Amino acid sequence: MQAKSFIRKPRNLGMVLGLVALLGAGQVSANGEIGDHVNDLKSHLGQYSEEVNWLVGKFGAVVDTYEEKGQKGTNTNAMLEYWEEVDFHSAIETSYVPVYANIWQGIFGVKQAIDAGAPIAKVREEQKKLNQALWQALGAVKLASQYQEKGLLAKVQTTETEPTTVPETLDDIKHRLDRVVAKYAEKLPEAATSIVHDTYLHRFEGVEGVLIEQDADLVEDLEKDFNVTLPQAIDGKSSVDDVRKVVESMQAKLDRAKDLVAAAEKKRKDVF
Amino acid sequence: MQRRAFLRSACLNSFAAAGALGALPFPVFASDVAGVRPDAVSVDQLPPLEGDLTLYLGRGEGGLYENVLDAIRKRNPKLNLQVRRGVTAALANTIVAESKAGVRRADVFWAVDSGAIGLVADAGLARPLPADVTEALRPGFQYPQWAPVTGRIRTIPYNTERVARAQIPDSVMALADSDFAIGWAPAYASFQSFVTAMRLLEGEKATADWLRGVNQRAKSYAGELGVVMGVERGEVDIGFANHYYTLRLKAGKPDANVDLAFTKNDAGCLVNASGILALSEGDLPINFIRYLLTREVQSYLAREAYEIPLVNGVQPPQGLPPLSEISPPKLDLTKLADLRPTLNLMRRTGVL
Repeated sequence: MQAKSFIRKPRNLGMVLGLVALLGAGQVSANGEIGDHVNDLKSHLGQYSEEVNWLVGKFGAVVDTYEEKGQKGTNTNAMLEYWEEVDFHSAIETSYVPVYANIWQGIFGVKQAIDAGAPIAKVREEQKKLNQALWQALGAVKLASQYQEKGLLAKVQTTETEPTTVPETLDDIKHRLDRVVAKYAEKLPEAATSIVHDTYLHRFEGVEGVLIEQDADLVEDLEKDFNVTLPQAIDGKSSVDDVRKVVESMQAKLDRAKDLVAAAEKKRKDVF
Repeated sequence: MQRRAFLRSACLNSFAAAGALGALPFPVFASDVAGVRPDAVSVDQLPPLEGDLTLYLGRGEGGLYENVLDAIRKRNPKLNLQVRRGVTAALANTIVAESKAGVRRADVFWAVDSGAIGLVADAGLARPLPADVTEALRPGFQYPQWAPVTGRIRTIPYNTERVARAQIPDSVMALADSDFAIGWAPAYASFQSFVTAMRLLEGEKATADWLRGVNQRAKSYAGELGVVMGVERGEVDIGFANHYYTLRLKAGKPDANVDLAFTKNDAGCLVNASGILALSEGDLPINFIRYLLTREVQSYLAREAYEIPLVNGVQPPQGLPPLSEISPPKLDLTKLADLRPTLNLMRRTGVL
């Protein structure tokens, strides 16, 4: 029910476009093998729904245990194992990375509150956010399945593909930045840092020459973001929300870059 | 018929050019001897491309190579062009590995740097090019088994508020003993090719001394556009970078505090090139190469990507000094493939 109402919200238009762009870009999981199920989401929706219900129950049981037995009687590491165990994990990771990051953020929100011995009300608050992220993710996967069924989404790649144009490259960079947030939310700052470096060297560096002709200040801003602001934000001390803010600001600049490049491309003379 | 006339004319001109160039220093740029060599042909003089062709394409500048490929496809509807893209060095290794396995998937290899071309050519996989193709290229850029497509010059971008051009020495080696604050990008492939050229031209010891000397006052950047931007902001006085970063920055910011200086006859003004070679026999790969050397494609890459045309009769990008004023060193560009000793040297001197 929640998932259905989520799909109807107007803000989902952006997400729909994001889904198309992200899946079109092709991707590989950093968490191991992606099953073939991600290329047949519709047939697996029932399974994903069951898994989300199972996760909500399991995470709820951890919080209940904490309420009953306190911190020492609660194994919060089990939450990570539950999440890693389900196929829904790779379904959302390959469908909509921003929500994937929210789930990790939610899991660690509950885990850290318990590990810190926070009052149960605070833990329930974190649990509520986690549950919302899970339902939101299920909605995203359902939406992706509809697009996949209509043939509007490219097959999820198991090997990396190269973007060939500047706009494609800029989209790919945005997607990789989403993964930075996801890895950071997953408490893997080194993995997040290596995505940033790799994205700069193998993606942004290839398009910034074209972009600098259009707006030198914008490139200067993004250079600083890639080399200073974002690496500092993912040094392990910032909150996931703070890292997300940096990434969202960079993504807005990349959107502006895309518009500039598209306008310049229209003016470009033909080869022959 | 048109094609035969073109070949005959190119052949006659090439004999004249060979005679005229015999006494000239190597390499020779420019218009200094123009008129005795054939100008670049127009695409209208080439035969249509028909059939299946697989191109391995090293990552190019901002998608502009893709525009060239799209234009070739559009002009040749009977050409079935398949493209595999990737990092240039990785594609070169793939071609060699495929050959060892008895497989040949690529018909043509277009690489962004000549080192990768050298790797494939040294493995004996490149087909010889017809004389009219090599002779259409500028002297110093004529190779029997591959064709340089466009060039890029190593430059010294300098901050015009902090440094006068006359203060910059003509010798890149002298910069190690200067007081300039220097920006460089040691992890960057073009920089490593430049150090390789220095190692080949000046020797290991001189290069090691140079690296140590510059390293004392150098600020490192991730890429060479970053170097040029650092120079422009005044973080450093001068830097080492390919020419087009400065031209592009000035296109987007005409009042930028940066200009270009060139050293003379050393690695500091090396002209490196993207290149193409044919891996399979037949007319189609060779004629595809001819398309890249046409006046139209060369002009497009000069105008849009700020790359230096290497065929005769095509203007260099705006903002570069006349090419006749630049004196790059004599060096077989394919030797730049020998990167391992360079990386070892850079590690040994603490630069990497």
